Amino acid sequence: MMNSVFSIAREEWRLWLRSRLALSALLVFALLLTATSTLIALRMSAEHQQRTEQQALAEETFLSQPDRHPHRMVHYGHYVFRVPPPLSVVDPGVDAVTGQSIFLEGHRQNTAMFADAGASANIGSFEALNAALVYQLFVPLLLIAIGHGLIVREREENTLAPLLAQNVTGVMLCLGKWIALAGVTLVLLLPLFVMTAVAVARGESLLASAGLIGIYALYSLVWCSLILLVSALVRSRGLGLGILALFWLGAVLIVPRSAVETASSVMPAEGKLEADLRMQADLREVGDGHYAGAPEFMQLQANLLAQYDVERVEDLPVNFRGVVAEVNEADLTEVMNRYAEERMALEARQARFAESFGWLSPVVAVSAGSRALSGTDLATHHRFLREAEAVRFDFVQGLNRVHVEQLDYIIDINRSNDTASERRTRMSAENWNVLDEFNFQAAPATERLTRATPALTMLSAWFLLLTAGGIFVSRRIRP
Amino acid sequence: MVVSDKTSPSDPQANATRESSPIDAPVLAAESLSVIRSGQRVLKDVTFRISPGEVHALLGGNGAGKSTTLLTFLGFLTPAGGSVQVQGRDVGENLSAIRRTIAYLPEAASLYGHLNAYENLGYFLSLAGTNADRSALDDVLDRVALQSGARGMRMQTYSKGMRQKVAIALAILRDTPILLLDEPTSGLDPVAIDDFNRLVRDLADAGRTILLVTHDVYGACHVADRIDLLQNGELVGTFDRPPGIDRIDTEAVHEAFAGRAAA
Repeated sequence: MMNSVFSIAREEWRLWLRSRLALSALLVFALLLTATSTLIALRMSAEHQQRTEQQALAEETFLSQPDRHPHRMVHYGHYVFRVPPPLSVVDPGVDAVTGQSIFLEGHRQNTAMFADAGASANIGSFEALNAALVYQLFVPLLLIAIGHGLIVREREENTLAPLLAQNVTGVMLCLGKWIALAGVTLVLLLPLFVMTAVAVARGESLLASAGLIGIYALYSLVWCSLILLVSALVRSRGLGLGILALFWLGAVLIVPRSAVETASSVMPAEGKLEADLRMQADLREVGDGHYAGAPEFMQLQANLLAQYDVERVEDLPVNFRGVVAEVNEADLTEVMNRYAEERMALEARQARFAESFGWLSPVVAVSAGSRALSGTDLATHHRFLREAEAVRFDFVQGLNRVHVEQLDYIIDINRSNDTASERRTRMSAENWNVLDEFNFQAAPATERLTRATPALTMLSAWFLLLTAGGIFVSRRIRP
Repeated sequence: MVVSDKTSPSDPQANATRESSPIDAPVLAAESLSVIRSGQRVLKDVTFRISPGEVHALLGGNGAGKSTTLLTFLGFLTPAGGSVQVQGRDVGENLSAIRRTIAYLPEAASLYGHLNAYENLGYFLSLAGTNADRSALDDVLDRVALQSGARGMRMQTYSKGMRQKVAIALAILRDTPILLLDEPTSGLDPVAIDDFNRLVRDLADAGRTILLVTHDVYGACHVADRIDLLQNGELVGTFDRPPGIDRIDTEAVHEAFAGRAAA
């Protein structure tokens, strides 16, 4: 039986190799994939190098600052960069639209910016068409172009009866045709093998890379099963092509767009301006730590005086201004984190809701899984924001601790009297090593696989459903 | 010659040579066969038996149910009533084993245009679980009179008659005891039809059992041992080739065919 099945698959390949349409389509796809993957690989490689260098430069610049007042270093600030993971050569994901660098400073949580002007300019350019998009959008088109006639062509050209008369069953025929089309997907996946091999050579996890290949293989097989099913059901190639083209349009354009729109309308997000105004109001209640004498810090002052059993702040063994800055930073950060976590939770819920549309479109499912496995999804961006915030809080509080413990309060409050007073407030530059090295990495492969599980589940369901449909229909194929 | 129909039963003496017996069991048999397609009864209570080495023609106009009969023997259609048997086994019991014994030439058989004759034959034979070397292919292509110069050309350049010859060659190469031929001479020129009829007789003489459906009265009379006349899914007449005579009376068959068609 399997000999006949493979004979059918081989024959389909011979037809395609002798067909100008199939060869032209393959050539166009190869050119498109080569162009996009080369461009995106070059860009992401340059971005990787640039951001790594920028990160090192930012740390070097911070650490090489001269002796200063510690709070001046709080405001001097520091940059952190999200270095693209190796698999971003396949799927840059949210990288192009979320910003990849953050300026860290005291009392503020800045939004992510683009690492350079060129990065944001790339969003609308040809480079926005990356390898992941080519696989998600154009592989199905190519498979439809060469595979829509798999079964119906035999019917239209009166070759179905001779085939079945050779003791070939409908199941054998469909299996052979499916294997032939699956073989095409294997060829189409070869560039992905190369790209992931390059990523592995650059330190990417083998498991994540295999997962990425696996999810695109599964996605392609979903289309193979769909194309075979439609081709076995219809009575004319034109009708089959029309049905498949409509499905492609729906899966590629309508459902993903509807997913985003529906998620936004079901879970509306507050505008940035409104959210910022609301947060500013809450921050005002916390008070401004630059003014240690403000009413918000009177209780803190009283507590400290009681704790150290002294009458005046000048008699405290710690710098009261530093303590205020430290406590105020913690309080401000708590408020800012609350807003940030609310926003990220909402974004995550919206993303999950939109991704659930993968039950309606395999394109939605594969794009979510691809981003997760590449380490370029929204969850990764959120982790970048959290890790950047942790770095910000640590170095600001580290500097505040220097302020508290090493800078005398009297010297501190008199720093504006003259240059000499100001000089005395300068702390040794050795203290700037409170800054932690920032080395953002994609999540471990197992975590990425876990995040890709819903997408894999949806694609598996698509595959099983369509394959079961194909088996059901294949048993009923008659001349 | 023997003429029979539902209103005038066959000559028992002549038919005695064709009836099955325990020793000479029918290779193909339809018993009270009824088939429904697209909600319409296209075969009604059809019964016939075909002995080993017999050429049996089903003659009838368009929509008479001829091709349906062949498809039922192949298991592509399921009887709504009655039964069809191949070598004593009900079709459907072991369809795979039954299909291995049958070579089928469909109506307007169309092999692959992107392949040449050799490639087509090689492919279909491989599906049937057999193979033939180039000289064996050439032998059969010689028998069906396909020009040797055309054999290596893609079949999309072939005329309808040339394609039909390759399809006939395939049926022969299957080397099965049973041949089901659906309008086999369609598209062939008169000379090729004569050649084909001789070929069919040779195959039958070599022991093959052949059921062919056609609306070519002349061809059927020249090649068949028995002709069953089908009209609107019913068997309305049977004509046997008398012993010692090389063909069935064309005029009688034509008269019955035309008379039934007019009626």
